[in-house]
Amino acid sequence: MDTYLWITSVAGVYVAGVVFVAGIGWRIYEWATTPKSPVRLGMFPKPATTGGRVAKMLTDTLVAPHAARIEPRMWFFAMMFHVAALAAFVGHLRIVQEYPLLPDLLGAEGMNAFAAWAGGIAGTLMMIAVLYWIGRRTFGPFKNLSVPEDYLLLALLLGVIIMGNHMRFFGHVHAAEYREWFQSLLAFRPHVPDAISNSNVGWSLGTHMLFVNALLIYFPFSKLVHTIGSFAANYARSE
Amino acid sequence: MEAQQLTTLTGVIDKKMNRQLKQYMDICARCAICKDACHQYVGTGDFTYLPARRAELIRQIYKKYFDKAGRFVPALYEARDPDENLLDELYESTYACTGCRRCMYYCPFSIDTAWILSVAKAILIAAGRGNEMLGQLADAAIFKGDNAAMFEGVMLSGFEDISEEVRAITGNPEHQVHVNKEGADILYVALAGAHSIRPAAVIFEEAGESWTISMFEAANYGYFYGDAEKARLITKRYIDEAKRLGVKEIVVPECGHAYRVAEIFYEAWSGEPMPFKVSHILEKVDEYIKAGRITVDRDKIDGTVTYHDPCQIGRNGGVFDAPRDIVRAVTSRFVELTPNREQQWCCGGGGGIVAMEEFKDVRLKSGGKKVEQLKASGASVLACPCENCRLQIEELNEVHGLGLEVWQVIDLVVAAMPFKATPEADAATM
Ligand code: HEM
Ligand code: SF4
Ligand code: SF4
Repeated sequence: MDTYLWITSVAGVYVAGVVFVAGIGWRIYEWATTPKSPVRLGMFPKPATTGGRVAKMLTDTLVAPHAARIEPRMWFFAMMFHVAALAAFVGHLRIVQEYPLLPDLLGAEGMNAFAAWAGGIAGTLMMIAVLYWIGRRTFGPFKNLSVPEDYLLLALLLGVIIMGNHMRFFGHVHAAEYREWFQSLLAFRPHVPDAISNSNVGWSLGTHMLFVNALLIYFPFSKLVHTIGSFAANYARSE
Repeated sequence: MEAQQLTTLTGVIDKKMNRQLKQYMDICARCAICKDACHQYVGTGDFTYLPARRAELIRQIYKKYFDKAGRFVPALYEARDPDENLLDELYESTYACTGCRRCMYYCPFSIDTAWILSVAKAILIAAGRGNEMLGQLADAAIFKGDNAAMFEGVMLSGFEDISEEVRAITGNPEHQVHVNKEGADILYVALAGAHSIRPAAVIFEEAGESWTISMFEAANYGYFYGDAEKARLITKRYIDEAKRLGVKEIVVPECGHAYRVAEIFYEAWSGEPMPFKVSHILEKVDEYIKAGRITVDRDKIDGTVTYHDPCQIGRNGGVFDAPRDIVRAVTSRFVELTPNREQQWCCGGGGGIVAMEEFKDVRLKSGGKKVEQLKASGASVLACPCENCRLQIEELNEVHGLGLEVWQVIDLVVAAMPFKATPEADAATM
């Protein structure tokens, strides 16, 4: 167990963090240093001002109103996934630093109960969305259009989510212990608390992190760079 | 595949690479949200015509030769060489695309598949697989530009005939098609064929406009073919003419792509800013009506009238209101197609596809949505600016027995104008 956790939840995290940050940096550098298209690619109607263009870009990127009109069901699941993923991300910040205010308001017990609910819902919604996406890619034009990259990403995601949900629903370890582990990583004095490694979810943390690391390492080299690129591409729509 | 050929084809991608293209290559989620935006995919159900699939063929080459991850694990992306198999499919999906950019409208990342396919055309041309028909039409246009003197006699006598017709319509003996008029305000670059010149001349003359006709057509088969240099040379014919005559403004005809070529592409192809103001003729006509420079009588035209937004004028050109205001000025029985404006369905006739017999089958099938829309509108008259749209919709009209009258907008205007001449003359405008 200790070796497994050391590989996945200590060394692996460092490697993945470095590759992710460097990879994203490299990707942005590549885009930034490639000359702009000589043709203005915008379509009409176009906002007249820069402010209008930025506002339209943000709406198009964050709400995707056109996609909602043409394929409402896909839009629904995609929204569900992305919003839940954002919520999960925000929730994870708790293991970096406990939130101000909320714990005072809810009390330690209340905070853990709130996190259990919020995290549980986000995790479940993400899992449903990913299963929908996987299902969608098993037939007809969606299957024909898919390449191994698509399935690999979905498999990694599913792994991350299932293991995360396992810790959430079956584990008895709370944020304080995870925070101790994660802050030790940030301080470069890594250690995994016994409360985790001796618990019933030690191996699930390890496996969660295994998938997370793989996803982060692959992220900058995959279509997931739409995370950043979609803002730029949607802006070009108004140029 | 052969090393020489490979170097040539990947060289094309290298030369055409730019930031937007790179992002399109990198970020597509292959979510297929674009699938139901494309009239060709919807009309045929054929995977070849799914927008993201068309782009995917270029992405496969890009991944293999231009992307680190793709070079490292090509199998992950189905990365491959631009071999004969790939080029066969690429030819089919690229030259069929009408460049309507409806897929871009709905894509959550606004990926411009038609722009990706402009690279595909360059690759096909470099592989000696450019569409022959479009290539020949482009070369003929360039030949005419290089040998203008050879064509001048025919052109002038043609303009003289049209002048006669104009005078017969308006009843004003001074009206004419102005040729080579130095210092005119406007150079009107028409299409080949009297139908694009006669009604425009009537309107310009009645409005008292200072104008002159171009010896060249606004249609640009170099653009459809996908060769930026040919397209530039074809456009340059009238740019040089406009410079020589010292006009202030270039007016393009109802044709769809001509406007986008002049207003958006020329600058990129030539590396110089467009030296003239470019207007679509319907913008001018709308101005004339609103300023009272020409008069139109309402409801001289029978039936309910609807309007089709050609993709290159609407979504891709930004001219939505002028044509509608014109149509509303000539009829009180105007109905919209649904959807309309930037969501308008492509009719299926754009991108030069009407000139390519081999795509007739997919072209007619791809008109299904337009047929549904037209039927649902209940209109009996269709105002339709673009020449390619009109050719396509007239054919759909016949095949599906829609019983629709398909009109150029400027013909509707001329039919609604009161003239001094006899009523029979009105008939000449039809
Ligand atoms: C901000 C604007 C964003 C938009 C408009 C957007 C849109 C989309 C769309 C349309 C898909 C396609 C679903 C499919 O696979 O069929 C997708 C997939 C995905 N997105 Fe985003 N996304 C955005 C941001 C993000 C962010 C910030 C993340 C970070 C976690 C992310 C992670 C993913 C993942 C993991 C998938 C699934 C990939 C797959 O299907 O294989 N996205 N996104
Ligand atoms: S809608 Fe856009 S992102 Fe989705 S498959 Fe089509 S081009 Fe790719
Ligand atoms: S530009 Fe139009 S024809 Fe071409 S792929 Fe997109 S929707 Fe289809």
